[in-house]
Amino acid sequence: MIEFNDVTKTFSGAAAVDGISFQVHAGELFVLIGPSGCGKTTTMKMMNRLIEPDSGSILIDDKNIKELPLQQLRWNTGYVLQQIALFPHMTVEENIAVVPEMCGWSASAVSGRTDELLELIGLDPGTYRSRLPAELSGGQQQRIGVARALAADPDILLMDEPFSALDPISRSQLQDEMKELQRTIQKTIVFVTHDMDEALKLGDRIAVMKEGRLVQLDTPERVTAAPADDFVRSFIGERQSVWQRQAAVLPMEETTMNISGDTSGTAASAETSLEDVYSMLRSKQVQELPVHAGGKTYLVTDTMILDYVYDVQRGKEAGDGRSS
Amino acid sequence: MDVLREFFQLASNQSNLLMEAFWQHVEMSVVSLLIAVFIAVPLGVFLAVRQKGAEPVIGSTAVLQTIPSLALLGFLIPFVGIGTLPAIIALSAYALMPILRNTYTGIKGVDRALVEAAEAMGMSRARTLWRIQVPLAMPTIMAGIRTAMVLIVGTATLAALVGAGGLGDLIMTGLNRSNNYYILLGAIPAALLALLIDGILRAAEKKTTGSSLKPMIFVITAALLIVTLPYGVQQAMPEEETEEIIIGGKLGAEPEIIISMYQHLIEDQTDIQVELEAQLGTTDIVFQALQNGDLDGYLEFTGTAITELLGEEPVSNDEDEAFEQAREGMLRTYDLVFLEAMDYQNTYALAVTEAFQEETGAETIGDLTAYEDDITAAFTFEFYDRNDGYPAIQETYNLAFDDVQTMDAGLRSGALVSEDVQVIDAYSTDSYMREYNLAVMEDTENVFPPFNGAPLFRADVLDDHPEIEDVLNQLGGRITEEDMIDMNYAVDVDDEAASDVAEEYLREAGLLTSSDE
Ligand SMILES: Nc1ncnc2c1ncn2[C@@H]1O[C@H](COP(=O)(O)OP(=O)(O)OP(=O)(O)O)[C@@H](O)[C@H]1O
Ligand SMILES: [Mg+2]
Repeated sequence: MIEFNDVTKTFSGAAAVDGISFQVHAGELFVLIGPSGCGKTTTMKMMNRLIEPDSGSILIDDKNIKELPLQQLRWNTGYVLQQIALFPHMTVEENIAVVPEMCGWSASAVSGRTDELLELIGLDPGTYRSRLPAELSGGQQQRIGVARALAADPDILLMDEPFSALDPISRSQLQDEMKELQRTIQKTIVFVTHDMDEALKLGDRIAVMKEGRLVQLDTPERVTAAPADDFVRSFIGERQSVWQRQAAVLPMEETTMNISGDTSGTAASAETSLEDVYSMLRSKQVQELPVHAGGKTYLVTDTMILDYVYDVQRGKEAGDGRSS
Repeated sequence: MDVLREFFQLASNQSNLLMEAFWQHVEMSVVSLLIAVFIAVPLGVFLAVRQKGAEPVIGSTAVLQTIPSLALLGFLIPFVGIGTLPAIIALSAYALMPILRNTYTGIKGVDRALVEAAEAMGMSRARTLWRIQVPLAMPTIMAGIRTAMVLIVGTATLAALVGAGGLGDLIMTGLNRSNNYYILLGAIPAALLALLIDGILRAAEKKTTGSSLKPMIFVITAALLIVTLPYGVQQAMPEEETEEIIIGGKLGAEPEIIISMYQHLIEDQTDIQVELEAQLGTTDIVFQALQNGDLDGYLEFTGTAITELLGEEPVSNDEDEAFEQAREGMLRTYDLVFLEAMDYQNTYALAVTEAFQEETGAETIGDLTAYEDDITAAFTFEFYDRNDGYPAIQETYNLAFDDVQTMDAGLRSGALVSEDVQVIDAYSTDSYMREYNLAVMEDTENVFPPFNGAPLFRADVLDDHPEIEDVLNQLGGRITEEDMIDMNYAVDVDDEAASDVAEEYLREAGLLTSSDE
């Protein structure tokens, strides 16, 4: 389906992608995983020619993509950006209609397709069709992003870390939906992520990248059972999701506020996992949650957790350990 | 309450004038804004897309904006003449910067990820611009356009000085006559106009949701229709073929009255039609317009011709010699012909109240020396400073007032009437001479240079229409200072039309041949 032959891309002297070759089979969900800056996005953007390779060739259905008309290539390749990037001045319906309109679909066909896609991603067309992106939650926006990429029924779907900015609840829900979706639509999906849990959960095959090279390409079972080298092994070892880390990792500030009365059941301890702390915040619908540690009380907010998780997932945190 | 009543009285008396000025203002503003939009928006988009070379271009439009408006208007006259054209060019130039800057930053400010999303979806560069970048930059672009619009509507009031008309005509008249009602009659509609256009633009912007730019395009089309329709009608009307000359006049009641006399006389006694361009700004503007052919003649004063236009010193304080110097110099240097001068002088004078004159019996400037220790003088700073002003008086009449205050021209006559001061400098024919019952102290030693008014025409105009010369020379030696003060008073204070005042004078002097009308 998609075939890379010795593809290299260099940015100002440094190779972002360094002579990689692999094949993505039709209908599979292919995960690209690796630490930050290892070349995942670059690899993906070469598939729809947002980036042109310096050398090597890329084939889709045995045709060199350089020889395909650019528009046709892109209309046949749905792209979900990490930033979601819905057009903020267009309604949900207009966002979804962008590619079908360019392809010359009739208005009624576009409208029918919009309803169909909204149903598919679990949003009621009557309620959501004419909303603006700003009137949607993060998870809903991400789903519309997927619907928009699927609008003109492309054969290939490229997804660049689509769920990394979401909270754990929406994230795990979307991952489940994603698996379900793939069963129904049977597209060839290339999926970029940082998160080994996500990769193992979703991927039919997983390609582990490091410094522009492919280290291992295998099924999730094989990657866990037989890591190709220490790098992959450490990657899997660290796979415990950031959400399972203890609250103590957060940059909490001690509070002088006297939390009086019975705080049992409303407070967390330093050992509580981030996921549980987050769920408590959510279910109690409060801004801050007291965390007891070493006889002191700290306050945790939901943005504190999300920021931390986001930073770790973007590989910004020192001692993340994945690249060692 | 009286103030309001008087204001609305004036508004209803001058409603025709007001409507005409308002419409001229609308047209001038809208045309300038459209031109600026059509230049600056595409240019801003182009610069933002091209990424390079934006700073010098935006910088040069900023430089345009630092040129004082009057200077820019004056600078344009040699190239494009007077009237609406220089006004529109200057106003468009001023409007470029805010629109260009906002378009550029608006387009640049669109999230990179959105542009990449559009590209990944197979949109062409042009489609991305039209469907994504321009709509998203629209609020910023519109803010720039609205800033430009306020700038244009405000600055367009100055366009009156180059004969473009508009609400500035009313404001200039008000400033000239120290009449606040006229100033407000121009300023309030100008402010309302700015608010109105702002409202329309905001409404259009609000309606411009999504990727459709239709409401914006509708507004632009409507604006285009508004400004082009009158021209279309004008084109369709067959223009009558008559010989026509154009006579101009500077700001103020007096020049307009005198050139109205030229018009009445010429139209009465020849077949030539005369068009007036009254209330043009400064000497500079009128003079340039005469030279480049926009005007065929205007009213000029001998003193001004000698010092300002020829850059000479007056050879004499005798009015006939001064006229000869001016006539000869203008002909030699500019090929311009002075016809015969009128009697009155519009020069500096020292004025006192009639009451003061009766009390003291002072008739001449020399007589004032007897009171120099007892009275207070109020002079404009210019008069106090100019060599041919107060210093000349001091020297020639050996007169030194004990107490001299310098104050704004508009305040002098009031200070005199309230008896805070006893003597002021004045223009000898100004209407307040009569309004406040002032008397001029006779300048027996001819200290003040002569300022006699006379028609100044291009030589080629007189070659083509030699009959004009005799017609206008009938005014030679006529119109006394008294006459002129009365006529200025009729226009400035009684708000009569300059043309009517002029005609009445000519009729009484028996200079019009036609019996009635
Ligand atoms: N347009 C560009 N210009 C210069 N260097 C670039 C460009 N795009 C990517 N790079 C560099 O190429 C390398 C690979 O970048 P890429 O975006 O593919 O990484 P990634 O694996 O997607 O990282 P992340 O997980 O942080 O998104 C990085 O070192 C990056 O700095
Ligand atoms: Mg990336």
